[in-house]
Amino acid sequence: MNITIIDILWWFLSVVAIFSALMMVTSKNPVYSVLWLIATFFAISGHYILLNAQFLAIVNIIVYAGAIMVLFLFVIMLMNLNKETEPQKNRWLKIAGALAGGCLMLILVAALKDAAAKEQVASVNQGNIGLIKNLGKELFTTYVVPFEISSVLFLSAMVGAVVIGKKE
Amino acid sequence: MNALIISAVLGVVMMFSGILLKQKSAIRTVAIAGILVLLGMSILDLKGIQLFSIDTREMIVFDHFALVFNTVIFAVVLLYLLLSAPDMEKVGVNYAEYFALIFFILCGAALVTSFKSLLILFLGIEIISIPLYILTGSDKRNLKGNEAALKYFLLGSFSTGLMLMGIALLYGARASFSTVISPAIIPQNMSLLYAGMILLLFAMAFKVSAAPFHFWTPDVYDGAPTVFTSFMATIVKVVVFFGFIRLFDDMFEPQQGQWRLWVTVITAVTLFIGNITAVFQQSVKRMLAYSSIAQAGFMLFALYAMSGDGKEGLMLYTVAYSAATIGIFAVLARMSDYTFDGFNGLAKSQPMVAATLTVFLLSLAGIPLTAGFMAKFYMLKAALGTPGSLWLVIFAVIMAAVSVYYYFRVIQAMYFKEPGDTPHPAFPSFFKGMLLVLAFLVILLGVYPELLLGRLYF
Repeated sequence: MNITIIDILWWFLSVVAIFSALMMVTSKNPVYSVLWLIATFFAISGHYILLNAQFLAIVNIIVYAGAIMVLFLFVIMLMNLNKETEPQKNRWLKIAGALAGGCLMLILVAALKDAAAKEQVASVNQGNIGLIKNLGKELFTTYVVPFEISSVLFLSAMVGAVVIGKKE
Repeated sequence: MNALIISAVLGVVMMFSGILLKQKSAIRTVAIAGILVLLGMSILDLKGIQLFSIDTREMIVFDHFALVFNTVIFAVVLLYLLLSAPDMEKVGVNYAEYFALIFFILCGAALVTSFKSLLILFLGIEIISIPLYILTGSDKRNLKGNEAALKYFLLGSFSTGLMLMGIALLYGARASFSTVISPAIIPQNMSLLYAGMILLLFAMAFKVSAAPFHFWTPDVYDGAPTVFTSFMATIVKVVVFFGFIRLFDDMFEPQQGQWRLWVTVITAVTLFIGNITAVFQQSVKRMLAYSSIAQAGFMLFALYAMSGDGKEGLMLYTVAYSAATIGIFAVLARMSDYTFDGFNGLAKSQPMVAATLTVFLLSLAGIPLTAGFMAKFYMLKAALGTPGSLWLVIFAVIMAAVSVYYYFRVIQAMYFKEPGDTPHPAFPSFFKGMLLVLAFLVILLGVYPELLLGRLYF
């Protein structure tokens, strides 16, 4: 059995992803939780790159690790949450959470166990479906009209932000 | 295509007019000139003169019916701006931006009336919704307005999420965003298709405030500044209705057996909840919010019937309902007291305004010789074309009778009650003239609906 650099990377990223996800759930300090969550996102983005999905990897970092995380941090800072304010959780609540999460995992495993996709997993430098180049080509040829129209949407959202945010 | 591009450009023009023009009346003049240009462009579209030729890859198709509808909508917006634009000054300082947002909404309206792709439908609905959230919360000093805007934003985003999920499932089933049924697109997985269809049905029902997805409507319509409630309850609502019907007409015609029962239940529940709850309201503004839910119930008949009659009815409903509601809201925006008692004795101090209000209310109630009657007549006629719908039609007529009660309460207050302590506001003569024009339109279409419907076919 040949161990390539990709296998090593895969194992490394998987361990990092699972470890930081566990740390995120178990940390007492909310700020640490958020930081561990960012680490999880980066590890998952690494997986996307291994699957040859560059665009997804970048978007995952920009949108999740960038925008959404900043929102989380803002909420935590505005409400001044820290280790002391963390409420003591009910034991039943914990059990219920574990059960619910376990159910989701069971379903995911059951669904993916026999999935036909197992034989055709994409890997680095194979295929070109997730490359930014192809996505850009599609976006600026087939979908150029909706792309341009979405600028009206963003413009109106910007006008709105100014209208709502400006001091009178 | 003209109207779509020009409306977006006009939005930008309005933003610049806010910087360049200091006087509010000048900004208003630009806006009204803008909507006139837009109307002219839309008529050019109808005549087949295209200023722009863009290959949209069949994602946007401007067919004749959509173009007529667009033209009618722009004409209604023109009336709305002439009547209500001065009242927007009272809302806040960003006068020019309000007009810019309204023009962006019209751009979204042009998309929602002419999409042939789910992607365009989504963009159109969002271009309509996001400026509306802003307009709802534009009066920043008003706590009720802030609450309404937040509520609208959260619930609206949620329903948009439902819609996106539906679109994703439909893409999964058909491997295409196109709403056209063609031999090239064969649905692979019918259960995915049904699930997506039901999600889209629910999301669109939310956007047109059909029960049981109507809970946001009274609070948002009540909390928003009255001038913008008028815009939301009329123009935006009928545009989204048009998109709703276009979507189901184009895409889900073969599945009619699956969704008709859902639409029947939604129609009946909407008629019932809208009318019965409106009876118990004390504020005229809130009553009009529930009445708009009730009227949505009637407009749902166009979807239920899915026939030529239904589309004619929707067109007539657009004008009848919009003209009457815009008139009532314009008067309401100038009143100091929004309760029924605020209208006490209006006929004595303002006989002209009271008379036109009476015409509008009669039209909403569906009394013959007004456009509202003809609109309801066409809707019910369309519904009767479908076998097994007699009970629904009878139920709708009973509910229309219930609606007479709360509409006539306003008329009764105006004519048969003594004026209270607070004096009624004065109305400028231009405003009264515009009210007369609207009332004339309502009666003209009630007597001679062919004037509008004749335009649909040539």
